Order: sequence, then C-alpha cells, then structure tokens
Amino acid sequence: MWQTLREQPGLIYVLATLLPLASFFIILLLGGIRNAARPYSKSGIGQKIFWLAGGDIPTKVGAYVATGAIFLSFCICLFGLIWFLSDHPVAMDDHGHGEHSATSHSDDHKKHDDHKENAKKHDDHSEKATAEEGHAAAWTDHMMFARVGLMNKDDRTGIELHLGYYIDHLSAIMFTMVTFIATLIHLFSMGYMKDETNVRVTDHSVHEADGGHFRRRGRYSRFFMFLSLFCFSMLNLILADNLFQVFVSWELVGVCSFLLIGFYYERTSASNAANKAFITNRVGDAGFIIGMLILWSFVGTFNFQEVFQRVRAPKSDFHNKHYKLADQMVRVKPEGEKSESGRQKYVWTKDGTGSHVALYPLNPPHLHGIGDQEDQVDEISTANNRIDRYGAIPYVLLTIAGVGIFIGCMGKSAQFPLQVWLPDAMEGPTPVSALIHAATMVAAGVYLVGRMFPLFTPEARLVIAYTGAITLFVAATIAIVMHDIKKVLAYSTVSQLGYMMLALGIGGWVAGLLHLLTHAFFKALLFLGSGSVIHGCHHEQDMRKMGGLFPKMKITAITMLIGVLAIAGTPFFSGWYSKDAIIAQALAFARENKVHLLLLILPLVTAGVTTFYMFRMWLLTFTGKPKDHHVHEHAHESPWVMTIPLILLGLFSVVVAWGNPPWDADASYLGKILGTAQPGSVKADFAAVIARLHGEWVHPLAGVIAFLAALFGGIFAFVVYHFRLLDPAETKEQFGFLHRLFERKWYFDELYSALLVRPALVVAHWCRNADAKGIDSLVNFLGRATVWVSRIKGRIDKGVVDGLVNVIANATYGFGIRLRKLQTGSIRNYILFLALAAVVIFALMTYLINRAVAG
Amino acid sequence: MNFDAFGLQAFLMLGALLFVCGIICMATKRNAIGVLMGVELVLNGANINFVAFSYYNPTFRVEGQVFALFVIVMAAAEAAIALAIVLNYYNNHTSVDVDSAEELKG
Amino acid sequence: MTLFEILFWIAAALTGLSAIMVVVTQNIVRAAAWLLFTLAGTAGLYFLLASDFVGAAQLIVYVGGTLVLVVFGVMLTAQGPFVNLRTGAGEWVFSVLAGIALYATLATAAWVTAWDKSEPQEQDAARSSNIAQIGMALTGIREATPEGSITGMPIKPGSPPRSRWRTAYLLPFEIVSVHLLVVLIGAAYLARAKRRKAEGATP
Repeated sequence: MWQTLREQPGLIYVLATLLPLASFFIILLLGGIRNAARPYSKSGIGQKIFWLAGGDIPTKVGAYVATGAIFLSFCICLFGLIWFLSDHPVAMDDHGHGEHSATSHSDDHKKHDDHKENAKKHDDHSEKATAEEGHAAAWTDHMMFARVGLMNKDDRTGIELHLGYYIDHLSAIMFTMVTFIATLIHLFSMGYMKDETNVRVTDHSVHEADGGHFRRRGRYSRFFMFLSLFCFSMLNLILADNLFQVFVSWELVGVCSFLLIGFYYERTSASNAANKAFITNRVGDAGFIIGMLILWSFVGTFNFQEVFQRVRAPKSDFHNKHYKLADQMVRVKPEGEKSESGRQKYVWTKDGTGSHVALYPLNPPHLHGIGDQEDQVDEISTANNRIDRYGAIPYVLLTIAGVGIFIGCMGKSAQFPLQVWLPDAMEGPTPVSALIHAATMVAAGVYLVGRMFPLFTPEARLVIAYTGAITLFVAATIAIVMHDIKKVLAYSTVSQLGYMMLALGIGGWVAGLLHLLTHAFFKALLFLGSGSVIHGCHHEQDMRKMGGLFPKMKITAITMLIGVLAIAGTPFFSGWYSKDAIIAQALAFARENKVHLLLLILPLVTAGVTTFYMFRMWLLTFTGKPKDHHVHEHAHESPWVMTIPLILLGLFSVVVAWGNPPWDADASYLGKILGTAQPGSVKADFAAVIARLHGEWVHPLAGVIAFLAALFGGIFAFVVYHFRLLDPAETKEQFGFLHRLFERKWYFDELYSALLVRPALVVAHWCRNADAKGIDSLVNFLGRATVWVSRIKGRIDKGVVDGLVNVIANATYGFGIRLRKLQTGSIRNYILFLALAAVVIFALMTYLINRAVAG
Repeated sequence: MNFDAFGLQAFLMLGALLFVCGIICMATKRNAIGVLMGVELVLNGANINFVAFSYYNPTFRVEGQVFALFVIVMAAAEAAIALAIVLNYYNNHTSVDVDSAEELKG
Repeated sequence: MTLFEILFWIAAALTGLSAIMVVVTQNIVRAAAWLLFTLAGTAGLYFLLASDFVGAAQLIVYVGGTLVLVVFGVMLTAQGPFVNLRTGAGEWVFSVLAGIALYATLATAAWVTAWDKSEPQEQDAARSSNIAQIGMALTGIREATPEGSITGMPIKPGSPPRSRWRTAYLLPFEIVSVHLLVVLIGAAYLARAKRRKAEGATP
C-alpha cells in the first residue's frame, strides 16, 4: 500500500473525498433501518432492531459520525497540503507566476531527463507531471468510467467518460479550506440544531387548519446526512480532472442544496425556496451542457489539461525551441476547398483575426508549433476530429463554449441575472447558509471559472467581467435596505462573488481566487455569528427587533466585528489583501482599456457600499437601545460548541492571507501559493495589463483609493446608525423610488414571475382544461352511450326473446286445454268416436287400395 | 256392382245393419244394460257375416261356422263379466246411468 | 224368387226390424224383448245358411244363456227411474249420422268388392255333414281345414304347401276353454258379496 501511495500520492485526496460519502451511507443505512423497523417496534426482534438503530429519540450518533468523518478528511487534506507543498515548492518570485521562465529553461532541462527516467518506471497512465510539456505541477490520474461507442485509434466516434483526480496548488488549498470550514460548521451545527434532538418539535412557521402549530418528529441525523453528502460532492468537484466529473458534482451539490434549503419542508416558503434554487441552477446548467457539447465535438476530450493543451499553443516543441505564441490561442482561417478525404487546410493569420482557432494534437510523435519561426508551420491540415491530430474550432463556437460554461457558473454562483435564488435560500438553517451559500457551493462557480480559464476567449472574459461588475453593484444596493440579518449576508455574498468574477474576467486570476479563499473564511464567520445571534434571540431574525446585544453576547459580537472589518478590507485583515489585489487589477485594466472604465468605478463604489451595509448590520444588531424588550431579556450567549468555531474562524479571517511582511499586500503567502498554480495563459493573455500592474504607482494608488472608499462607507454607517445624525426613515422617504427599487430587489422576482412562471402556469391550466373538459367529456359520453345501448338490449331481451318463449308456451297450453275437452269421460262419446274413426279408416283404406290396384 | 252373387251381399248388408244398430245402441243408450245389448247386436252382425262367407265361398268348409261358434262363446263370457261389472257399478253408484261415470273426465 | 230368397227376406225383415226397435225403444225391458226377437231371427238365418250347429248354439247359448243374463241384469237394476233413461236429441242426431256413415261405408265395401263368382253348393241340411266337420276341426284334424288360402286370394304357384302348418282349431278351442274358466272365476269374484258402502261412495 505504501508503494501505491508513493507512486500515486493523489489517492489520499480521493480518500478524503470518500470519507464524507461513507458517513452519508452509514447514517442513511441506520436511519433507513430505524424507519423500516418503526412499525414493528412494539415487540420482538423488531423492537431490538429499532433500539439498535437509535430508537425513537433522535440521537446524536449521526452528528458524531459526520463530524468525525469531515474532521478526519480535514486532517488528511492538511497532511496532503504539506506533502504537496514539499513536493512542488511555491515560486516566491514574479508576483506568483509559477511557470519556469525561459531563462531557467536550460536548468530544468537536466531535471527533465532525471524526471523522465523516473517517470518511465511508473504506470503509463499516472503522471507525476512536471513543467516539461507546459503542464502545471500536479498529481493526477484517471480511470475510465464508461464508454459508449467506438473509441480507438482509427475511429473516435464514441464517448468515453473518466473519473480522475487532479491535485495542484489550487486544489490542495481549496481542499484544506473546504474541509476546515466544513468541520467547524459541523461542530457549530451540533449546537445550533439541538432543537431537532427532541422527540417532538413544534414548527412555529407552519400553521395547521385549526390554528395550532405543526408538530413533527426531530430530524437531527438527517441534517448531518445531507451535510455529509454535500461535503462529498463539493470535494469531488474540487478533485475532478474532467468536466464530466465536475458536472456530476455540480448537479449533486445542487441536489444537496435543495435538500438542505428545504430542510423544514413543511414551510411553504422553504419548499418554494428549494425549488427556486434548484430550478435556477438548472437554467444555468443548460448553458453548461452547451459548453460541454461544443467542447466534446471539437476538442474531443473533457479532461482539463488535455483541453488546454489543445486550445492553447504549447510552450515549446520537442526540440525545446520556445514558441513565441506560447500559451496563446492561435487564430487560423480556412483556405481552399475540402479535399475528397475531407481534409481542410487552415492558414495562420498573423493579425489574429482568423475565424477559427487551431487545436493542437495531444502527444504527437512530432509536434510543430504554428507561427513564423523556423521549425514552425504556418498552415495545418485537419480531417476528422482526432485528439492526436491538428484540429480547428470556429472562434465563435469557442466563445460560446466559454460563455456556456460561464452561464453554468452564473447559476451556481448566483450572478446576475440568476442571482434570485440565493436570498431565498436563507430559508434553510443557518449552518447550511454558512457552508453552502457562503463558503463552498457558491464558490464552486468561481473555482470552475478559475480552472477553465485558458478556455475563455477575450469576449468570454469580458462577459464574465461585466456580469461580475453588475452583480456586485446590484446586490450591494439591495443589501442596504434589508431587515433580515441573513438576507443582508446573502446579498453580501452575491456581491462578493461578483467581485471574484470581475477579478477573473479582467485577468486577476490570483486576486479572484485569493478573494474566494478569504471570503470563505470571513463569510462563514459572519453567517455563523448571525446564527449564534439568531439562536441566542430564540430564532429572531429581524434586525429591527434586535439592538444592544453587545453586553449579552460578547464573543459573538467581537468575532462578527472581526468579520465585518475583514469584508470591509481593513488593512491587516485577510480581506484587505484580496480586495486590494482586485482593485489594483481593475485599475490596471481600466488604464489599459479606457473603454472599460466602468469596471473600475463599480468595484470602487461598491467597496464603500459594502462597508456601509456591513457596519449597518453590526450596529443595528449589537449597539443602540434594544428595540424589543422581550427579545433582549431572553438573549443569551451561545454554548461553547457554537462559539469555538466563531473564535477559530475569526482568527483565520485575520491571518489566513498574511505573508511576509504582513503590511505588503502583494506578499500574501496564500497568494503566492495560488500564483504557483496560475495557468500560463493568464500571462500570455494579459501581458499588457500585468505590465501596467507592475508599474510604479498602480498598486499603491489602488490601495489608497480602496481604503478611502471603505473608510467613507464606514464613517457614513457610523454617522447614520451610531451617532444618529441622519434618520434612516427620513432618508427612506426622500429616496422613496430608490428605496422601493432596492427593497423589491430590483424587481427581478416580479420580472421572472411575469416572464416565465405565469406563461408556464397558463400552459398548465390550458392542458388541465383540455384534459378535464375534452377527455373527461369524451369518457362521460362513452359511458352514457354504453348505458343507453344496454338499456335497448334489455328491452329487446325482455320483449323479443322472452316474448317468443312465452308465445310458444301459451300456444302449447291453449292447445292442451282444448285437447282436454275430448276426454269427456262418457262412454257413449267414446263409442261414437270409435265409429267415426272406423268409418274414416275404412274410407281411407278403400281409396288407397283402389288407387294402388288401379295404378 | 255385381248382382250375380245375390245372396252374399244381402247377407252382408244385413250384417252391416245389425252392426250399425248395435253401434247406435251403444252410443245412445244411457242404461248400462242397454249398452250391453248394443254389444250383443254388434257381435251378432259380425256372426252373420262369418256364416254368410262360410256358405257362399267353397274354399271355406266350416271355418266361418267355427269362428261364429267361438264368437258366441266369447260373447257369453263377455256378457257375464259385463254384467258383473255393471252390478258392481250399481252397488257403488246406485245408478246404472253411464253418464254418471265421469270420474275419468279430463 | 226361390224359396231361399223368400225365407231370407222374411228372416231378414224380422231381424232388421227387431234390431231397429232395440235401438229406438226407450224402455229397457222392451229393448230386451226386441233383442230376443233379433237373436231368434238371426238363428233362423243361420239355419237358412245350412249352419245348423251354429244356429242351435245361437239359440241355446245366446238366447237361452246370454239373453237370460241380460234380462237378469235388467230386472235387477230396472228400478223406477232407470227404466226409461232418455238421451238428448242432439246425441241422437249425431249417433244416427255416424251410424249412417258407417253403414254406407260397409255397404259400399260389400257391393264394390269383386267377390268370387262361384255358386254356392246346394246343400241339403238333412244330409250335410257340417257338424262332423266342425267337430273334426275343433279337435285338430288337419284335413278339416281347407288346403287353399283362407283369404280367398289365388295361391301363388310354386309356394310350399301349407299343409304342414295346419293344425285346425285345436289351439283356439283350448284357449277358449281356458278363457271361459277365467271368466267364470272372474265373474264369481266380481259378483261376490261385499260389504255395502255408504250410498254414493266411489268404488
């Protein structure tokens, strides 16, 4: 076993992924047995099985199993991270460009040969890939899962689906982050969901017909079962090395989100919210599938690395000649007609206006780059779609593929216009909101955009950037006017996700993903803190009823303040490093492409707005006079199970992005790790922007203006809510239209309802009417016709058949009656008859004999 | 019609007359003894036929007469029985009217 | 008109008239008397037909036995209302019509049939051997019966002689005697003295 582990160390991450799945199955099995045994639990062996599986009281075993599994997973991930970092050290130079530059190429050449010899001893499939062929450093392996159709050297018309893992710096860090936060949230849930451990739970939000509240059995273990399933699917998503596996996990996290949002499914609002979340996600998945289809048709593979190898030019060929067009999309255009064998020639367009993008072959015996250097070709010839031959994909389709996959991410990460589901998803329990809708699942979209980054054409990247920009602004404005503490945090999440998408769109790969990581920590902290507040106020979520809770819940208040400062981008808090990087990138991009100035203005303004609403939330909740005395009296601090995660997350919200030195925003260690994982295409595509970024004054200027914006927002919040110099109610009246717009969430729900929901309902009603009136009337008519026919038949039967029988019987009877009169009982009559008979017989005989004799 | 064999046809007609009278007597007499008389007449008519045939046909020597004898004997026996029956009937019904013997009326 | 015919007509007239009177008369006793004359006339006809034994038997058995019996019956039962039992006119009509029809049929049969044209043998009653023949026939002497076909139909040539099967009338004779015995017993049983039932009781 150790031999296998040494050869394929990525397997420990596979183990870490499967541990929550095992936990899920264990809880499922026990719960299933218990439910199956419940009807027989009165006596006998059924009673024993029932007791073994937990009995009637919702036990805490499920929680222990789930938390233990995820904690174990975290330990493995931490261990794996350390191992990986020791195997593939982080490049500390060049703002995180981890690829070996051309100058150090010759040094690496020697290392290549050593590694090559080592690699040859291993299995063909597994690669401990190095920077040899332009791959990033990674542990990766895959196995075939299913094949439909033909897939061999000559004929690749089938489909082959793989399951595999790909561990690079990004995956390793993500794994650690996800498992850490998930462990803390499991711990938190053990305290938060304590209500569900009662045998009978009263749900105050569900009213029954007689006015009472709905009572049901506690569902403690079910929560942890779903959490385990979610952890498994999220880890599988991060683990995946191909789009198919990502898609499977994509859907599975959607399902888990559905199950968890609708955890209190008897509440109509909760079940509606679950439906909304899932359906909106599915709308995004349509785009995802389109992207996958296009990729499969032209590129021929789902594997990330293979896709990038095909779509982007390689760094060097086998003769180690470095290409000028390394890591770029090579535009070609078709020339001439297709030959009889279907071959089409494509010619390189120097100015980059070709209609197609060249697809490079995978693992060819001889690779020739496309370009204008010697040993390079300037035209390729493509036949059928084979991944070991050159190919060409129309540029438009490549853009559409990128946009399609981004639409999937749009749905998952709640970007405009598919952001409508995330605020409603707050119907789920607070730990769910913290884990899924703050730290992990919504981050999956950003993660995928980061992963698939080399695939995106410039147009696709602009779409991503603008979508992110619009989202961040819209969501921040809505968050200003929300009353529910969780809704504020939800819109804050949407806004921060917009930040990440914006960053990725304008080339700040490291910045966006760094923000993803830091945001996970402080958003989880904020959500858990709000959960602690809600728990302490006995499930009161409206901030208008809170106030002055600081003395009562000191730990919660302090940790939430840390979270607020982090999200505001206060220096030395983790959020500062990532936000700073994003604003810097935006500044550089806007200076490079002056037409996209909006991409700078929006994040800046929103930074101020973010600070404003976050402080507003904190001030309304913890300071000021208590607005509801009943709530204030019964408020209490949460138990240690809930406050320990808060403290830990608070700590990490501060230190996670620290570097050496801590006051240097660029020196974030996390950022360096991510920089090692950055694909080479970023540098190739955004060379100009990056050059500007490294200019003298861009970074400091960005830091200053970001800080000023945040400061302004914070001061404004204090002015309104602490010093009470401006009355919110007056403001509400003055800006009535704006306030209404923000409060109605920019009327998105109404728009979708009118555009999509109502037509669907109309069609449904029409179908129902057609069925009820048309088909039912037909069936009724058939029924009546049958009755009518049977009545006629009845009459015929009675009249004709019975009548016939009766007529015959009567005739016989009448005949018999008449015949009876012959028997008079009188001898004299009999003698007369005798005589007459004799006469007749004689006459007859005479006549006949005469005739016989005569004839 | 041949009138050559005169005697035979005359006898036959006489026998037929007796026969018919006997039938009519049986059919019209309400007295049981009257019916008996009718029976005697019928038998006598038949006897006359027998004997006439015996006389007028040379093939028959004594057959007709033998048969007539038998008939006479049988008539006597039958008369005895009939009388016994009538007497029984009279004992039971106190009447010799055959019209009152209606038990077998259907 | 030969003597035969004259005698025939006289006897026939007597017999016929008497027979008709039997039918017509309402009085049962008178019917008995007319029956007597009928039977006597019949006997006379037998003597005319050279059947003296049969005629004698007729007088002895029929008139002297049967008729006496009938008279006994009449005398025993002719009490009061039973002497004159009238029948309705409708029945008379019907019966007479039936009778006439029957007579017509018989007469027609008698006239239409082609009887054998042979002359009857002149027989002398004093010297006829009828009785001897009757006796022989009754005791089963084969030669007493004719060899030819009794039915009068011509014998088919070549058919086997029937002489072997002729047994005369011994068997009928025996049967008749047994029959008479049975009748004797039966009549004795029927006429035995019974316990008198109530009047009007059904038998």
